[in-house]
Amino acid sequence: MLEEYDGRVRLVFKDRPLAMHTLARAAHEAARCAGAAGKYWAYHDRLFAAQPAFRRSDLLTYAAELGLDRDAFAKCVDERRFAADVERDIEQAQALGINSTPTFLINGRPVIGATSIEEFRSIIDRALQERR
Amino acid sequence: MGTATSYPRFVNRLSRCAARSPRVYYSWLGAVLAVLVLASSPSRALAQIELSWTPSMIKGPASAPVTIVEFSDYQ
Repeated sequence: MLEEYDGRVRLVFKDRPLAMHTLARAAHEAARCAGAAGKYWAYHDRLFAAQPAFRRSDLLTYAAELGLDRDAFAKCVDERRFAADVERDIEQAQALGINSTPTFLINGRPVIGATSIEEFRSIIDRALQERR
Repeated sequence: MGTATSYPRFVNRLSRCAARSPRVYYSWLGAVLAVLVLASSPSRALAQIELSWTPSMIKGPASAPVTIVEFSDYQ
Protein backbone atom coordinates (compact mmCIF):
# COMPACT_ATOMS: atom_id res chain seq x y z
CA MET A 1 0.00 0.00 0.00
CA LEU A 2 2.91 2.36 0.74
CA GLU A 3 4.19 1.63 -2.77
CA GLU A 4 0.78 2.40 -4.19
CA TYR A 5 0.87 5.87 -2.63
CA ASP A 6 4.47 6.38 -3.73
CA GLY A 7 6.00 8.72 -1.16
CA ARG A 8 2.73 10.31 -0.09
CA VAL A 9 2.26 8.03 2.94
CA ARG A 10 4.59 7.31 5.81
CA LEU A 11 4.10 4.41 8.23
CA VAL A 12 5.26 4.58 11.84
CA PHE A 13 5.09 1.35 13.80
CA LYS A 14 4.52 1.54 17.55
CA ASP A 15 4.71 -1.33 20.03
CA ARG A 16 1.48 -2.16 21.78
CA PRO A 17 1.86 -5.68 23.19
CA LEU A 18 -1.27 -6.51 25.16
CA ALA A 19 -0.85 -7.79 28.71
CA MET A 20 -2.85 -10.93 27.95
CA HIS A 21 -0.32 -11.95 25.28
CA THR A 22 2.42 -13.25 27.52
CA LEU A 23 5.05 -13.73 24.80
CA ALA A 24 4.37 -10.54 22.89
CA ARG A 25 6.54 -8.16 24.86
CA ALA A 26 9.67 -10.27 24.30
CA ALA A 27 8.86 -10.36 20.58
CA HIS A 28 8.55 -6.57 20.45
CA GLU A 29 11.87 -6.17 22.27
CA ALA A 30 13.48 -8.68 19.90
CA ALA A 31 12.18 -6.75 16.89
CA ARG A 32 13.93 -3.66 18.18
CA CYS A 33 17.12 -5.71 18.55
CA ALA A 34 16.72 -6.63 14.88
CA GLY A 35 16.13 -2.95 14.13
CA ALA A 36 19.40 -2.03 15.80
CA ALA A 37 21.06 -4.49 13.43
CA GLY A 38 19.31 -2.95 10.42
CA LYS A 39 16.64 -5.63 9.92
CA TYR A 40 13.60 -4.21 11.64
CA TRP A 41 11.03 -4.66 8.90
CA ALA A 42 12.23 -8.09 7.80
CA TYR A 43 12.02 -9.29 11.40
CA HIS A 44 8.67 -7.56 11.88
CA ASP A 45 7.25 -9.46 8.88
CA ARG A 46 8.77 -12.70 10.15
CA LEU A 47 7.10 -12.26 13.55
CA PHE A 48 3.68 -11.67 12.03
CA ALA A 49 4.12 -14.74 9.86
CA ALA A 50 5.22 -16.85 12.85
CA GLN A 51 2.80 -15.68 15.53
CA PRO A 52 2.34 -16.85 18.23
CA ALA A 53 5.62 -18.82 18.26
CA PHE A 54 7.64 -16.34 20.30
CA ARG A 55 9.68 -18.43 22.72
CA ARG A 56 13.27 -17.26 23.14
CA SER A 57 14.55 -20.04 20.88
CA ASP A 58 12.04 -19.03 18.18
CA LEU A 59 13.10 -15.40 18.34
CA LEU A 60 16.76 -16.37 17.96
CA THR A 61 15.98 -18.69 15.07
CA TYR A 62 14.15 -15.95 13.15
CA ALA A 63 17.11 -13.64 13.67
CA ALA A 64 19.52 -16.28 12.39
CA GLU A 65 17.29 -16.89 9.35
CA LEU A 66 17.64 -13.22 8.48
CA GLY A 67 21.40 -13.42 8.73
CA LEU A 68 21.74 -11.66 12.07
CA ASP A 69 24.54 -12.59 14.44
CA ARG A 70 22.87 -15.12 16.73
CA ASP A 71 25.06 -14.47 19.79
CA ALA A 72 24.85 -10.70 19.57
CA PHE A 73 21.11 -10.96 19.06
CA ALA A 74 20.73 -13.33 22.03
CA LYS A 75 22.68 -10.87 24.18
CA CYS A 76 20.40 -8.01 23.15
CA VAL A 77 17.29 -10.09 23.88
CA ASP A 78 18.58 -11.44 27.21
CA GLU A 79 19.69 -8.01 28.41
CA ARG A 80 16.28 -6.70 27.45
CA ARG A 81 18.10 -3.78 25.89
CA PHE A 82 14.96 -2.22 24.45
CA ALA A 83 12.53 -2.96 27.27
CA ALA A 84 12.28 0.72 28.20
CA ASP A 85 11.54 1.70 24.59
CA VAL A 86 8.72 -0.83 24.32
CA GLU A 87 7.40 0.34 27.67
CA ARG A 88 7.42 3.94 26.46
CA ASP A 89 5.31 3.00 23.45
CA ILE A 90 2.87 1.16 25.71
CA GLU A 91 2.60 4.17 27.99
CA GLN A 92 1.95 6.46 25.04
CA ALA A 93 -0.73 4.10 23.75
CA GLN A 94 -2.37 3.97 27.15
CA ALA A 95 -2.26 7.74 27.42
CA LEU A 96 -4.13 7.85 24.11
CA GLY A 97 -6.65 5.31 25.33
CA ILE A 98 -5.44 2.71 22.83
CA ASN A 99 -6.27 -0.64 24.39
CA SER A 100 -6.93 -2.81 21.36
CA THR A 101 -4.83 -3.68 18.37
CA PRO A 102 -4.32 -2.82 15.69
CA THR A 103 -5.16 0.84 16.16
CA PHE A 104 -4.08 3.31 13.50
CA LEU A 105 -3.79 7.06 13.66
CA ILE A 106 -4.08 8.49 10.18
CA ASN A 107 -2.88 12.07 10.43
CA GLY A 108 -4.01 11.82 14.04
CA ARG A 109 -7.44 10.38 13.29
CA PRO A 110 -7.99 7.03 15.00
CA VAL A 111 -8.99 3.93 13.04
CA ILE A 112 -9.58 1.03 15.40
CA GLY A 113 -9.39 -2.64 14.47
CA ALA A 114 -8.70 -4.54 11.29
CA THR A 115 -9.93 -2.44 8.38
CA SER A 116 -10.45 -3.44 4.76
CA ILE A 117 -8.02 -2.20 2.12
CA GLU A 118 -10.86 -0.27 0.47
CA GLU A 119 -11.72 1.49 3.69
CA PHE A 120 -8.06 2.31 4.26
CA ARG A 121 -7.72 3.74 0.76
CA SER A 122 -10.77 5.86 1.32
CA ILE A 123 -9.44 7.27 4.63
CA ILE A 124 -5.99 7.93 3.15
CA ASP A 125 -7.48 9.60 0.05
CA ARG A 126 -9.55 11.84 2.31
CA ALA A 127 -6.46 12.73 4.38
CA LEU A 128 -4.55 13.55 1.19
CA GLN A 129 -7.35 15.81 -0.03
CA GLU A 130 -7.38 17.63 3.31
CA ARG A 131 -3.65 18.32 2.90
CA ARG A 132 -4.05 19.89 -0.54
CA MET B 1 -55.86 33.74 49.34
CA GLY B 2 -53.52 35.37 46.88
CA THR B 3 -52.82 34.47 43.25
CA ALA B 4 -49.52 33.07 41.95
CA THR B 5 -48.28 36.57 41.16
CA SER B 6 -48.41 37.46 44.84
CA TYR B 7 -45.78 34.84 45.70
CA PRO B 8 -42.08 35.72 45.72
CA ARG B 9 -40.48 35.72 42.26
CA PHE B 10 -38.47 32.52 42.75
CA VAL B 11 -41.65 30.64 43.71
CA ASN B 12 -43.34 31.77 40.50
CA ARG B 13 -40.27 30.73 38.51
CA LEU B 14 -40.24 27.30 40.11
CA SER B 15 -43.90 26.75 39.37
CA ARG B 16 -43.35 27.75 35.72
CA CYS B 17 -40.49 25.24 35.52
CA ALA B 18 -42.66 22.55 37.01
CA ALA B 19 -45.33 23.23 34.41
CA ARG B 20 -42.90 22.61 31.49
CA SER B 21 -42.88 19.31 29.66
CA PRO B 22 -40.31 16.84 31.05
CA ARG B 23 -38.96 16.66 27.47
CA VAL B 24 -37.37 20.07 27.97
CA TYR B 25 -35.33 18.72 30.87
CA TYR B 26 -34.43 15.53 29.02
CA SER B 27 -33.02 17.56 26.12
CA TRP B 28 -30.93 19.65 28.54
CA LEU B 29 -29.68 16.48 30.20
CA GLY B 30 -28.77 15.08 26.76
CA ALA B 31 -26.76 18.19 25.91
CA VAL B 32 -24.86 18.05 29.19
CA LEU B 33 -24.07 14.36 28.68
CA ALA B 34 -22.86 15.03 25.11
CA VAL B 35 -20.47 17.70 26.39
CA LEU B 36 -19.15 15.32 29.05
CA VAL B 37 -18.61 12.52 26.49
CA LEU B 38 -16.81 14.87 24.08
CA ALA B 39 -14.65 16.18 26.88
CA SER B 40 -13.51 12.66 27.75
CA SER B 41 -13.21 11.33 24.17
CA PRO B 42 -9.90 9.91 22.82
CA SER B 43 -9.63 12.63 20.16
CA ARG B 44 -9.20 15.20 22.91
CA ALA B 45 -6.43 13.09 24.44
CA LEU B 46 -4.77 12.64 21.04
CA ALA B 47 -4.11 16.33 20.78
CA GLN B 48 -2.31 16.30 24.11
CA ILE B 49 0.14 13.45 23.59
CA GLU B 50 3.46 13.84 21.85
CA LEU B 51 4.53 10.55 20.27
CA SER B 52 8.16 9.51 20.06
CA TRP B 53 9.23 7.68 16.90
CA THR B 54 12.08 5.25 16.37
CA PRO B 55 13.77 5.82 12.97
CA SER B 56 14.20 2.10 12.22
CA MET B 57 10.45 1.60 12.71
CA ILE B 58 9.42 4.12 10.06
CA LYS B 59 8.74 3.49 6.38
CA GLY B 60 8.28 6.29 3.89
CA PRO B 61 9.59 9.84 3.56
CA ALA B 62 9.31 12.44 6.32
CA SER B 63 7.80 14.78 3.71
CA ALA B 64 4.79 12.49 3.14
CA PRO B 65 1.53 14.42 3.62
CA VAL B 66 -0.09 11.42 5.33
CA THR B 67 1.38 9.70 8.37
CA ILE B 68 -0.08 6.42 9.58
CA VAL B 69 0.90 5.52 13.12
CA GLU B 70 0.17 1.86 13.76
CA PHE B 71 -0.07 0.55 17.31
CA SER B 72 0.11 -3.20 17.02
CA ASP B 73 0.76 -6.41 18.88
CA TYR B 74 2.81 -9.20 17.28
CA GLN B 75 0.97 -11.96 19.11
